[in-house]
Amino acid sequence: MTRWISYLCGLIAIMSITADRAAAHHSFGAEYDVNKPVTIAGVVTEIDWRSPHTFFFVDVTDKDGRVANWKFEGYPPTVLARLGWKKDQTMKPGDRITVTGWRARDGSNWAHSREITLADGKKLMFGPPAGTGDGGNAPAVDVR
Amino acid sequence: MTRHAVVGVLMVLSLIPASVFAQAGSVVPRGPDGKPDLTGTWQGGSTLRGSWDDANAGFGVGGSGKNPDVPPVIGSNERPAGREAAPYQEWAAKKVLESFNKRAIDDPTSRCLPPGVPRSVMLGLFPQKIVQTTKEIVVLYEYMHTFRMIPLNAQHPDDVLASYMGDSVGHWEGDTLVVDVIGFNDKTWLAGTGTFHSEALHITERYTRVDRDQINYEVTMDDPKVFTKPWKLTSTLMLREGTRVQEYVCAENNLDPANFEKLLKEGVQIGR
Repeated sequence: MTRWISYLCGLIAIMSITADRAAAHHSFGAEYDVNKPVTIAGVVTEIDWRSPHTFFFVDVTDKDGRVANWKFEGYPPTVLARLGWKKDQTMKPGDRITVTGWRARDGSNWAHSREITLADGKKLMFGPPAGTGDGGNAPAVDVR
Repeated sequence: MTRHAVVGVLMVLSLIPASVFAQAGSVVPRGPDGKPDLTGTWQGGSTLRGSWDDANAGFGVGGSGKNPDVPPVIGSNERPAGREAAPYQEWAAKKVLESFNKRAIDDPTSRCLPPGVPRSVMLGLFPQKIVQTTKEIVVLYEYMHTFRMIPLNAQHPDDVLASYMGDSVGHWEGDTLVVDVIGFNDKTWLAGTGTFHSEALHITERYTRVDRDQINYEVTMDDPKVFTKPWKLTSTLMLREGTRVQEYVCAENNLDPANFEKLLKEGVQIGR
């Protein structure tokens, strides 16, 4: 566990968890844990622009020089384009970035991305808020 | 009108801020038949005027947009905020709750299936394009790459096959487009996690373009096999000029079913 923690450049204690706001196509809550926010800094190794969700990979080096490759999930290409992302331009392999998000429930080097800070300091959203797609805060029926 | 009068009118108009024309009360575009022209690219589930960028900057789509005071874009499988609960029969309500408590892992769209109606209309992450003629209206949805054809003043065919998006026919009641939809299969969710229905589903939609920027959308869902009474919801579609409807091929790299199966097999706690 401490090894994992050493990979993390910082945990965000308080995040604005605006669950149930977006309309991605699948359940956040099944795969990701809203109680495990994560902020990671590293070097982009690959960006896979695909539907239904885009993935990118980041090499993270801990203080002992060990490198771990993390996988991040985000919006599909058309949604990213509408948010200002340009494929092969805005972010490329080799770029140093910082990304915030939430870790996968299975504990692997995998997370749901929310905001990326690019090498030039510019910030762009890469994924929807936590809770997206898992039904929001209230069921469609009244609970009796 | 004399030249002086025209100049006078133009001078008066020039004193009115341009923003006024973009707000409520602005002229509703009309087609050659005099009916409101709904043609355009629209964003569902939003109340914000302006371009896609204007309405979705800041937190991004799914956030609260530039103005935190307005309701956020709602999710495609969420209960619309502040709206009445779905009037499911008791046995059916239990089934809806089951899906909610399993965090929607049985969502048909997690298998990339078409979202159906009204889910396709009310979601905000993807745009939809309406193309209107005097005889037929076509709606193209980016989400799941689906479409609907709505012939006007027509009858449903007598050989309708059950489908995800149903069979639509429309007519005008004054300035409101009324669309009657039948012929659904039972494989879609209506509006909110687990909101299933039967093949008896009968939907009536009312589209009213109230000004240049906004269509008021009202949908009544009737399904006597699962509801105790018809379920009515309202929403809005906001004009997004300059936004293109593009390709979204969900099946390209869909990992969800395999992921969900793995999580369940490994006993990872996903329930609420």
